[in-house]
Amino acid sequence: MWDAEVLARVRHLHLRARMLTDSLLMGEHRSRRVGQAVEFADYQPYLPGMDMRGLDWRVWARTDKYVVKRFETETELPCTVVLDLSGDLRTGTTSAHGYPDLDRSKAGYAITLAATLLYFLHRHGEPVGLELVAGEGMLHRSLPPRGGRNHLQLLFLMLASSKPAGVADLLPSLNRVGARTRRRSWVGVITDGMEEPSNWLPALGAFARRKADLRVFHIYDSQEWHLNFERPSVFYSPESGLELPVDPAGAKAAFSEVVQEYINEVRGGVVRWGGRYMRVPTDRPLEQVLRSAIRGASEDAAWA
Amino acid sequence: MGLTLLTPLALALGALLALPIVAHMARQTPRDRHEFGAMLLLQRVVKRLRRRRRIKDWILLLMRAFAVLAVVIAVSGPEFSYPGGVPEFGGSGRVVVVVDRSMSMSLQDGGSTLLQRAREQSIAVVRDLPEGALVGVVVFGTEADRLTPNLTGDHGRAILRLEEVQPSHGTSNLRAALLEARKLLGGEPGEVLLYTDEAGPRMVSEAADEIERLVAGGSSVIPRVVQADPPRNVAVTSAVYGDGLEGGQVTVRLANFGPDPIEVACEVTLPDGAAIPIFSDIPPFGESEERITIPLEASGGVGKVLCDDPDLRADDARYFHLPRVGASRVLVVDGDPGDTPTRSEIYFLERALAPWGGGKSGVTIDVTTPGGLMELDPDQHRVVFLSNVSDPRPFGPRLTEFVRKGGNLVITAGDNVTADRYNAALGGVLPSAFRKPRSVADTGEKGVPVALPDLTNAMFAPFSKAGRGGFSRVRAHTLLTLEPYTDIPGEVETLLAYENGMPALVERRIGAGRVVVWTGTIDLGWGNLPLQAVFMPMMQRLVTYLGGDAGGGSKRVTGIVADVIAIDLPDLVLDLEVEGPDGQLVPSRIEGSKLLFTPRQPGAYEVRADSAATLAWVAINGDPDESDVRAYGSVAGVEGELKPELLERRVDLGRGFFGFGLLLLVGQALLALRGGA
Repeated sequence: MWDAEVLARVRHLHLRARMLTDSLLMGEHRSRRVGQAVEFADYQPYLPGMDMRGLDWRVWARTDKYVVKRFETETELPCTVVLDLSGDLRTGTTSAHGYPDLDRSKAGYAITLAATLLYFLHRHGEPVGLELVAGEGMLHRSLPPRGGRNHLQLLFLMLASSKPAGVADLLPSLNRVGARTRRRSWVGVITDGMEEPSNWLPALGAFARRKADLRVFHIYDSQEWHLNFERPSVFYSPESGLELPVDPAGAKAAFSEVVQEYINEVRGGVVRWGGRYMRVPTDRPLEQVLRSAIRGASEDAAWA
Repeated sequence: MGLTLLTPLALALGALLALPIVAHMARQTPRDRHEFGAMLLLQRVVKRLRRRRRIKDWILLLMRAFAVLAVVIAVSGPEFSYPGGVPEFGGSGRVVVVVDRSMSMSLQDGGSTLLQRAREQSIAVVRDLPEGALVGVVVFGTEADRLTPNLTGDHGRAILRLEEVQPSHGTSNLRAALLEARKLLGGEPGEVLLYTDEAGPRMVSEAADEIERLVAGGSSVIPRVVQADPPRNVAVTSAVYGDGLEGGQVTVRLANFGPDPIEVACEVTLPDGAAIPIFSDIPPFGESEERITIPLEASGGVGKVLCDDPDLRADDARYFHLPRVGASRVLVVDGDPGDTPTRSEIYFLERALAPWGGGKSGVTIDVTTPGGLMELDPDQHRVVFLSNVSDPRPFGPRLTEFVRKGGNLVITAGDNVTADRYNAALGGVLPSAFRKPRSVADTGEKGVPVALPDLTNAMFAPFSKAGRGGFSRVRAHTLLTLEPYTDIPGEVETLLAYENGMPALVERRIGAGRVVVWTGTIDLGWGNLPLQAVFMPMMQRLVTYLGGDAGGGSKRVTGIVADVIAIDLPDLVLDLEVEGPDGQLVPSRIEGSKLLFTPRQPGAYEVRADSAATLAWVAINGDPDESDVRAYGSVAGVEGELKPELLERRVDLGRGFFGFGLLLLVGQALLALRGGA
């Protein structure tokens, strides 16, 4: 039942993820959940109805003010990676990371990114899950966050067996993930976003309502977004089969405008729902992307 | 105006027009194909560019279609023709340069005259003629002159002739000039290069038939109009003496041919030198009339009106005739002072000629004795009455000279008149030799009445309205008789006769002078004349007739510069001369009974007989039409009506269309390079 190629990809992904993870600066991940724990977090003025056990009597004795002590609790953070594997991700020529059969494509880059994130999160003891959008050949389309090496291997196998195909339909996938996401979760969406943003951006509202840590990795190929083609050509979409004859030289300026408008539109939608947006050109080394992903917006201007 | 094609068949290439349309319809499909993962964005771009592209496509299509069309039209040799102002010059190799030197060409404009400009321009044209081109020169005013006898290849000679062209005071006889030009061309086609101002109301219209002949002969008249901008001129168009207050009036008409109102200062100079200044306001393109009152006494002759106008000085002066005005000084020689008024000729003459003292009647009488004739001054007295003078022999030669120089002598009979003495003293000037007085009626009879006068005679013309019948009441019983004679018109004429056929008033003309014999007395000695109503008017008329306007005297003739002036000559005039305004003698000739001469400049011309008496005054002026410096007709216009293609201008549009086509091709290429989805 195990395809040798798939297994080779699994190994590739595993090695790749491990190497990338090892090279990163490791940091302790702390839960943002506040509650009964051993490590003091901060004070909060007492309000009627609060648990009286949290009152700090020493502060009351010194200042005659009622304050409640709060503590940080170390806990598991369910992490889910939503990976878009629609047909259009098969394109691309500038990827910085190779991937068997999908060398230099957006899909190869996206799968490697997803595997690395899963591995990194797993190494930190977080339960990890995976949701695939479109694509073909996979054993499972959706696995909820769970701990354990076997689960991780299952996720890697799921990634390795997937090939980009079909039409992207982010909305149902995001709705499905959103519905099962608990409060205080981490959700990473890896997509090229090549469907009308107004169709899928509203689905991010579910993550916002659950205060999930949402991060959108917007994968794109620099050559495509800069329309770096020399001659008039017929451009066709492997996803929809749509063909358009275009003179790149003449359309470049307008294309640049459209790209900028599109980026603003997607980023605006993500930020509006409390998420963080990151443009990820495939010619960008994954180390940088991961470092930015780990450190957060304050440490990397790439995040919005 | 229109568009013509030299090779219309080339328009068949217009089918090529379909090429860009077909090419446009068949859209190009790029050969390269690329997988593209951002079709969402590409779709948005295509949507955005679709409108721009639609417009651009149409522009491209139009540019390409027009480019093909332009090239096709260029190949078919398009020519644009439009009516030009004048025929085009150059190409024939046979050129006649015609220069207008009429008076109007002396108009000043920008520091030079139109003639000077015409001369310079024509010289420049001749200088630029190609080697071997034949050229002829014609100038015209009233007459046209060929300055080269035929067409010549010697351009230097033609230029020399043009440099010598001088202005004239003549009119514009364009017709004659074109005739000369046609003669120079000798029936072959050629070009007549006409330098003129086309001024005057008749110049072009009179030459229309000659233009037609030239055009019919394959020639073209190319007018090079030299005009002031705008044309301005003030001219004296007329000056005429007529009746009026005091000594009469000279009516001066001034014309302003310019577009601005003008005040002009003029001076009227009478023949005796008196100057009368006038100022006149003349509206634009209008006229004004000024009347100058002549003094009660003024010498006759030719007067002059001179206005100050710097534009065209040649017509600033106008000459007019002025008859002698005012009192004619009469010298009465009293040969028989009577003891009573009724026996005194002087008594009756004074009352007839100067009943109110002389001023009003226009006659001033000086009475003298026969001895006073020794002091006879021809310049002072116009008429001398010898009234019953017994012996004129002592002053016979003086009286004869007086008559020969234009003086007028009236001899009245009486008891003292002795035929032999008169015949001896004045035989050379008498109408006929005197005989003894003869009684024509018995004592107690009323005498012989005077026959009614011939009113066609200038002497009696004033009696045409009334008074003629009064002559029949004049009677005489004694008359001075004359040797038989025959009336010779212009020499010896019986002005008045008695009913019995005997002469009453006989005139003889000697040059400008005259001798008149009244065969009766002017007292009551031989008849009743002094008591008749006709006595006073007849005497006054006689003096006026002899010394004033109504009389023969000097002829007054008017004419136009360069016209041939003809003057009737009296008999027996042998030596004639014509003196011009500048004091120089003007060439003249006699043909039959007429003296002919051609004045070349305006002014007063004096025709003298026998180097002494003035036979005629001739007032010569420029043609008033020449003063009108505005153009009324156009030579080119006449030609355009005769042969419109002469005025056509053709422009080869082939290169233009070709360049335009290339421009469109380059433009569409640049536009296409900008590309787009």
